[in-house]
Amino acid sequence: MKTSKLIVIFGVIVVLGLLVYFPGRKLARAHVNEITAVTDHPLSCTSCHVYISQNKLISKMVNADYLSPLNMAVSNDGSKLYVVAQDINELIVVDVEKSEVLNKIKVGVHPHSVILNEDGSIAYVSNQWSDNVSVIDLAASIVVDTLKTGNGPSGLSISTNGKFLYVVNTFGSDLSVIDLATKEEKKRLTTGKDPTGTELSPDGNVLYVTSRRANFTHYGEPLICDMTLVNANTQKVIKYTPIESAHIMENIAFTPSGDLAMMTLVRPKNLIPTLQVEGGWMMNHGVGIIEQKNEGKVVQLLLDEPNAYYPDPFDIVITPDGKKAFVSSSGVDRISVISIDSIRTILAESSPEKLKNFSNNLGISSRFVIKRIATGANPKGLALSPNGKRLYVAEQLEDKIAIINTESLETIGSINLGGPIRITVARKGRRLFNNAGHTFQNQYACYTCHPDEHEDGLVYNMAGKDMGRNMTNTQSLREIGETAPFKWNGKNQTVYKQDGMRFSTVLTRTEQFSYKDLDAIVSYIMTGIKYPPNLLYNPNGELTESQLRGKVLFDRSMDNFGNNIPENNRCITCHPPPLYTNLELADVSTLATTDDPILFDIPHLNNIYSSAPYLHDGRAETLEEIWTVYGQDDKHGFVNDMTKIQLNDLVEYLKSFRGPEYENSDSSIQQASTYKSN
Amino acid sequence: MLKNVLIKYSKFATIAGVIFVAVSLGFNLKGQHSSDLNSFFADTLSTQDNTEGLPARNSDGADLNNNINAMPIYGNWRNFTSKEGLPDDKTYCVKIDGERVLVGTHEGLAVFEKGKWRTYTTKEGLAHNGVLAIDVSELTGDVWLGTMGGLTRWSAGKFENFTQLNSGLPNDLIYSVICDGKDVWVATGGGAGQYDTYTKRWEIFTEQNAPMHEPWTYGVCEGDGKIFIAAWGGGVVEYNKKTKKFRDYVDPDGNMEIDLFPDDGVVHDITTGTSWADGYLWVATYFGLSRYDGVHWKGYFDHDSGLASNFINYIIAQGPIAFICTDKGLSTTNGKNWVTYTKNDMDKNGKAVIIEGTEETELVMSPSISHNYVLGVDVKDNVIWVATSKGISRGELLK
Repeated sequence: MKTSKLIVIFGVIVVLGLLVYFPGRKLARAHVNEITAVTDHPLSCTSCHVYISQNKLISKMVNADYLSPLNMAVSNDGSKLYVVAQDINELIVVDVEKSEVLNKIKVGVHPHSVILNEDGSIAYVSNQWSDNVSVIDLAASIVVDTLKTGNGPSGLSISTNGKFLYVVNTFGSDLSVIDLATKEEKKRLTTGKDPTGTELSPDGNVLYVTSRRANFTHYGEPLICDMTLVNANTQKVIKYTPIESAHIMENIAFTPSGDLAMMTLVRPKNLIPTLQVEGGWMMNHGVGIIEQKNEGKVVQLLLDEPNAYYPDPFDIVITPDGKKAFVSSSGVDRISVISIDSIRTILAESSPEKLKNFSNNLGISSRFVIKRIATGANPKGLALSPNGKRLYVAEQLEDKIAIINTESLETIGSINLGGPIRITVARKGRRLFNNAGHTFQNQYACYTCHPDEHEDGLVYNMAGKDMGRNMTNTQSLREIGETAPFKWNGKNQTVYKQDGMRFSTVLTRTEQFSYKDLDAIVSYIMTGIKYPPNLLYNPNGELTESQLRGKVLFDRSMDNFGNNIPENNRCITCHPPPLYTNLELADVSTLATTDDPILFDIPHLNNIYSSAPYLHDGRAETLEEIWTVYGQDDKHGFVNDMTKIQLNDLVEYLKSFRGPEYENSDSSIQQASTYKSN
Repeated sequence: MLKNVLIKYSKFATIAGVIFVAVSLGFNLKGQHSSDLNSFFADTLSTQDNTEGLPARNSDGADLNNNINAMPIYGNWRNFTSKEGLPDDKTYCVKIDGERVLVGTHEGLAVFEKGKWRTYTTKEGLAHNGVLAIDVSELTGDVWLGTMGGLTRWSAGKFENFTQLNSGLPNDLIYSVICDGKDVWVATGGGAGQYDTYTKRWEIFTEQNAPMHEPWTYGVCEGDGKIFIAAWGGGVVEYNKKTKKFRDYVDPDGNMEIDLFPDDGVVHDITTGTSWADGYLWVATYFGLSRYDGVHWKGYFDHDSGLASNFINYIIAQGPIAFICTDKGLSTTNGKNWVTYTKNDMDKNGKAVIIEGTEETELVMSPSISHNYVLGVDVKDNVIWVATSKGISRGELLK
């Protein structure tokens, strides 16, 4: 063939290619812009068609089942480690010396904590998503019994006589006292909100139970979070110690002498505008100290430093000699090492006024934090060897256990639990979600306001760009993939937009996420966050009589007097199943004087029972108040013809809503199933 | 034809009239007889907290197994009013809780502990200052307070309020509250309510779903695996906890203010309280007292028993003894014998009238109970506390 012909053919191909490329690219750009609701996202097909795909085959290929170790217990001789692997529903038995996994024991759904009996022969594992405790014969490595608990069991403790198991029920906000002889729940005590950690005082007389949520307050009032004290002899609550301006108290530990109880906590500054981030301390993180003398005086000390924060403190352990405390600062992948003698000095030398001021003092940590030890991703549960010389750290998003020498304060080893080697995009997103590295001064991670990927129950002043102050009730992130638009004002049509440029402008005050990181975090949020089962109000899909009556009211088109209810004022119109939102905006007559004039995004209602307070600014403490206090003009559904029994029925029905996954499940029992953990 | 019919019905009317007159006379004579007896015995004995000659009884005033007919007698009264530290003289209810005593007043909850009174009001977190009912959970130690503005859980110093606006509570006006294991029951102005402290669920019972005349309920108690609700105009509504079924006990005579046929059922449909103990259901009304043993009803009135008044505000039974709070004093009975405590109109003294069988004795009390309008009572071991419209009284078991 002549060269000229080749040139012509090549030229034609180039022209055709250009003819396809430019319009094609334009079309692709328009497509991506539409899908992501932003104009700057790279033209990457995988972003949407792979990473957030709902196709089961694709999802299975791109994701992986990680272990996600959360909490641990050490055998009495120190040779074995029992690790709760939350995402595979197993207790992993580890040989510490050989750094190898010996066994994996299947337990209940979404296990949380593990504790051993006095002789170390039995392990109790709390299963947060199946409302029970697995009793494991460790010699045989089998589950020999299952104890029923309250809703969402987490922290565990055993009475000094070994007769009672205390189980903290996070979702139910109470404490189950289980008689280990009869294996039955003897009683249930009311605790603070969303309790998790628990520890018996060294003398065995008082059980302390932490709370993660503050008590309900209207915006503007300071937070109070309860530390619940239970008399272990009478098994009755003796005190709710108010911990002021703090929440997310995950865990607690006692010094061996019993003079101090120390708990982790977060101090949110939700009463100042979020634009304050660059001014520092939008969020603070620290420890609370409850002196056992001085009538249980409470002091809060920050772990943060002026230009470096240590967010999301999770666990705390104290060495047997009472000299050091270790705190897992899970938002920055660090272990903060505390000199307890230094804390004792601070307590002894400081006036009450000074001690009170220390709760907001960013410099105080230099007086008692003696080292920050780097760990793998997202350190959570901590455990000390019986002699106190080794600290084990559950690296939740690393699927490893770090080993730290408690004298040299150096990491001396790592135990690989055998999770997937590759890091999927969603897993990377989960790491980003839990890490504060993208926030100015590391002040907080996504997790800080969305603990357990849910919400923290607080209202923040989002300081709108118009005249409004825009009080905003934190929204849950559980299974929001199909519920766009996002934010209460519905201005973010996608998570790409929500977590893109605007996110860094308003919340993190740093560089925006790279597009790879943005893809990762969107992938995790869109696909990796599941609803817990609704075991309290709808355990098996069979509605109660009251809920069935409530459904009739929810679906109704006529009021009690036979009058037609306008279509746009029926519950079912704006909140149709399965998401219980029509994805539109509406005016339900709740606009406050502090709000910019907007319509509100109609929220989805699945697992609504666990998302108090309600309405966009959290003004309604309970579902009832939406109508009894804030819905008297019948603009938020037509309800004022209802009797009290009918309103109760309607509320009961609303509380029965659960994730679509459970509704579509073949099994009538919620198992929260087998999803890729990420 | 018409004439025959008239003659026939006039005969029936005559017979019915004779029967009615005879029954009425019988009642009047019976009442008169009782009254005469009372005045006769009133003159025979008058002592001042002197228990000499009274039947011996064991240390537990309410548990008299050795002598089922013996009645505990209380004396050595000590009275407390706002002068002594109560927030208000008007007291509605009282509950002994271990070493402390909880008193519901019109101006808050008063707690007597280590010889001192302390008051808790809405400032501390109470739902409403008018505290009408108190119970303490044996399981948790939580105190449940029925107020005029909602239900309050007082747990280890922390107040948590349930109202008709923020919860499934039927109504904010709470006349009665009891703890039954993990459940809390309330009798309210808008029906009875059951709160399951484990599941956090409320269930409401009104005339819409239970055999009540209207939703106004005054009292609730537990016994024999059942919940008994005193329903205004509806007699007693029994709720079987196992079957979750209702049945009601109403006055066979209807709403008449006299008990036309004695012992045929609860004496009146307007009931103000119930209490179950020792196999007996005691029912208080504004028109007399009833006792039900599961088969037979027995009525008691001020004219034919030692009952201080037919106007009964509250009742509580412990063992074989019922403690009955009326507008004219406090009565106690085991169904046979009676002791009624009253205060003189003009001074602080009063008396206990003791009726054992046909014998009546009087014991002078100095001082006596704080006031004759009695609204609440609680008894534990050898001590009795009585809530009245003018202060609260503490008495001790005599002898």
